[in-house]
Amino acid sequence: MFVSNAPLSGLPAQLSGYGQMAGIGFKNADMNFYHSYASINQNLAWGVNLHYGEDEASILPRDPIPLRIPRIGVYTGSGTSHSWLWFVELFDRMLFHDLVFLTEDMVREGVLQDLDVFVISGGDTIRIAEGLGCEGAGELESFIRGGGLYIGSCAGAYLPLKSSKQYLDRFNFVDIKIANLSKTLPEVKRLHSKASTAYGCDFVYHPVREDVRLRTTGKKPFTSVESLCAPLYGGPSMVTGRDSDVLAYYQGFTEKTIFLVDESFAEKTLVGKVAAARTAMGDGHLYLFGPHFEHPHFPMANHLVATAIFWDMKRERINRKSSDGEIILEGAAKKKLVLDIKREISNARIVSVGLEAIPVKWIIGCKTYEPEKIRVFLEAIWKRINRLERSGGFRLQKGADEQLVALACQVRQILREMKSRIDDRLDTQDLAGDLFSSLRRLTMLFLQVYFDSYACNLESGSEIL
Amino acid sequence: MRIDVDALTCIGCMACEMACGYHRDDAFALLSSCIVVYRTREKKDYFGVVVKEEESLKIARPEGLEIKRIGVTEESSDSGQKKEADASAKPMLLREPCDLCSGMKYGPMCVKICPVNAISLVE
Amino acid sequence: MDYLSSNKILIVDLEASQISEDELDDELVGQKIGGVGITSSLYGAYKDRDPIILGAGLLTGTLFPASALGVISAKSPRTGGLTHSPFTLKAGMELKYTGFDYVVIVGKSKKPVFLWLHDGVADIQEASEFWGADVWNTTDAIRKSMGDDLIQTLVIGPAGERGSDLAQICVNYWASGDCWGFGKVFGEKNLKAVALRGMGLLEISDPEGFVDQCFEVLETIKGGAFAGKSGVEDILTAMGEKDAKEWIAPFVHRHSACYNTPYPTNTFVYLNENPKTLAEPTEQEPGFLINDVGALLTLKRAGLSAESACRVLKACAKYGIDPCAVAELSARSGQKDPDKIEQSFVDLKGTVSAPEGGKFSSWAPMQPLFADFGLSDESAYGDWWVRRQALAYLFGIHPIFANMAPELSEELMIEMFNKGTGLDLSQETLDQAIADVCI
Repeated sequence: MFVSNAPLSGLPAQLSGYGQMAGIGFKNADMNFYHSYASINQNLAWGVNLHYGEDEASILPRDPIPLRIPRIGVYTGSGTSHSWLWFVELFDRMLFHDLVFLTEDMVREGVLQDLDVFVISGGDTIRIAEGLGCEGAGELESFIRGGGLYIGSCAGAYLPLKSSKQYLDRFNFVDIKIANLSKTLPEVKRLHSKASTAYGCDFVYHPVREDVRLRTTGKKPFTSVESLCAPLYGGPSMVTGRDSDVLAYYQGFTEKTIFLVDESFAEKTLVGKVAAARTAMGDGHLYLFGPHFEHPHFPMANHLVATAIFWDMKRERINRKSSDGEIILEGAAKKKLVLDIKREISNARIVSVGLEAIPVKWIIGCKTYEPEKIRVFLEAIWKRINRLERSGGFRLQKGADEQLVALACQVRQILREMKSRIDDRLDTQDLAGDLFSSLRRLTMLFLQVYFDSYACNLESGSEIL
Repeated sequence: MRIDVDALTCIGCMACEMACGYHRDDAFALLSSCIVVYRTREKKDYFGVVVKEEESLKIARPEGLEIKRIGVTEESSDSGQKKEADASAKPMLLREPCDLCSGMKYGPMCVKICPVNAISLVE
Repeated sequence: MDYLSSNKILIVDLEASQISEDELDDELVGQKIGGVGITSSLYGAYKDRDPIILGAGLLTGTLFPASALGVISAKSPRTGGLTHSPFTLKAGMELKYTGFDYVVIVGKSKKPVFLWLHDGVADIQEASEFWGADVWNTTDAIRKSMGDDLIQTLVIGPAGERGSDLAQICVNYWASGDCWGFGKVFGEKNLKAVALRGMGLLEISDPEGFVDQCFEVLETIKGGAFAGKSGVEDILTAMGEKDAKEWIAPFVHRHSACYNTPYPTNTFVYLNENPKTLAEPTEQEPGFLINDVGALLTLKRAGLSAESACRVLKACAKYGIDPCAVAELSARSGQKDPDKIEQSFVDLKGTVSAPEGGKFSSWAPMQPLFADFGLSDESAYGDWWVRRQALAYLFGIHPIFANMAPELSEELMIEMFNKGTGLDLSQETLDQAIADVCI
């Protein structure tokens, strides 16, 4: 196994003293994965020439091609749940900081062509497809055929699979079938609401949730790992055609696996089916993961995501479009912005924690939203504010600072209004749509500033805090 | 095995909440705790304890125990909209369900820290 | 200061409407420990600006038993000297987690304001709409406007706004133990309230050692002298009021504890609802939380019925006036009618007894409770009480519980300090810190 021998000292703040990671029992070997990729990205940012499989990049398979920093797009548009934040966490830990957060509009406008990698995580596949539409599907196909790398996890994995269903029929990029598809449902023993999804006249059913065991096939680039665990939350088990490489099969279950159906039926459904596949399309590639390889509690799986990124990212260098509207915020202006954001996010967070104790839910589309989901987005911001505060200047688009504060105020206002109405036993459904839409935009905008600023500091050689 | 709370013996001191937070975060903090003292009815002196389990919320009220199934589809929502099954629902990773402090040498810390023995570990 | 601390001292200048921060350095903690040790030191530094200082004890908000105490330090309008008041319930703990260990408030605001402390952010907010409101309405209004029912408040009522020497800073809806007239200090600064809410995190130098010791201490305490007892009634009984339980029993609903405090020192009485009711009552204000044993005792000895005594205490909390002072002055005048006592608040004046040493609030009874502290006789109580309170106010231990648990020894406190902070406290330094705050 390729594991960096670099010492654990001198880790970026994302890794050292990271309470959550300590709490979930990461071993030194696990931390070394993150450190290895962080080291690669840090060196690349400083202009150091690295090659696959050598020196700091010894964690990757050998290849004489020089490494470069990948520009990665993270899809955050309609239909996504909150698991794209898991990709964000992974990228943050590994110092992949050239990130772009995309809505469906941005995909349709052709932003994909500036990227090396595009990732779609979990959510509602049909809504994602609907949101992207024909134009988005065309842009995605063009991106991949032009050499880009697509990584789809869970809903993102279903998206390009062969399908005649409305909206999904615009994709159909790979000849891979869904193995957990049936006209009738098996007997469900627990968590009925999570056991199946309607799929036209059929059902996609889910025999298990939580950790499953996977076995890799030794195919590149997953050559460094023989077996691993990753969590399954409604993602596909697949049957591949000749055009695809199987990277991993479902091998079995763990003590943490939750069986929604009879165990032997679950075994029959999953074991031996494809959990991860790689398919070439034009000059590019697609990686489809049934389980969430990007989940922050699974370092081995995260390592494979990073390997895939470096291995199959677009090979041609893209010149970053210079942005006339970009500014650097420093000194007192930066301090004020941080304080303003902190104030509003803290206020919002306080209300949202209180809402978690109240039995309130909202339905948006066909999905149920609970108060805890509000805080998922707020925490993604909150835990990075202090780091941003300690970094050098902020790099952001002109007007983004005002927009950030305005959005944060809006979220706080809606939340307080919600709480007030709940106290008066009034309905809050009409506020929910605005709230979650604002939350998503706020999180996207904040994270864009965060990663742009971090990338700027990495490049300038500023101290990694 | 599961955690049981006697709400009438409970004195609302929050030691259990802090102990659980310590188990989650290796520091003193309350935000990740899966056992929470419900204390928003201060003027009414109405308080109880909520324990988040894998599939349910156990609410120990003074008048009795209530168990709410997490994620179960209800008859109808207030807005009248139909809710589909949500197989893609993912955990929030904020307040994780009670794991009986697995991996901790103390066993369930809430049981151990409660000064009035209102919390017990039962089959 | 990396451990058991947010490492921040907040300075709030109400006159200039400005906020600044200082770091809490190891050296200061190593010498002064925490709580009143540091608030006294800060008082000295800002003396010319007539400060009022909020602080948390060193162990406040941890898993150490009874680590519930927050402290208010200021020059008392009643004595003219530097004095200290406790605030417990969940407010002491909440202060620690707001991200500020100490808050120094100086100057006078041009208009009524309240201070909102949350997650390392301090905001001075307009309070004109609350000025004139009683304590209960103010807390309700702040919680509603901020959108959270768990916000802890230190509030003044009309007594503080009117500049009464007997004005008390109340905690949420209840008495606080402020017997020094600090409500007047808030009022003079046009400071209606301090609102606290924090979701911070405290790191520990030796987490396993610290927590192991917490469990060990709890095990020895649990079987201690107060086992099987609860509420203000049993405290009153321990103080010699043999019929206290029967006297108040018809109104007792439940007993509750301050943060992480093994003995529930608070008794909630239902006055407008059947006390046997377990379900959530429909009545919005069914009763009152009694946490001031001294005031209750004085009212009882003055001959008031339990119901009348509780109604007086509730009226005191709403008005924001020291219930102990009210009880003493009413007893002196012979007044027993709760409505007439309440009507007297507006003009109430008089000299009331000050606790031993003149530094720490008399909220904690001046005697051992339930337990044997090895004191020869009552004549030893005075010095013992002062030292015990000093220890509690330095380390953040509930002052009433400190008088119940001899197991919470000075040696133990030193050990917890060292394990928690990674610093090296000695008995000599502790002796000096105690001496400094008792001057």
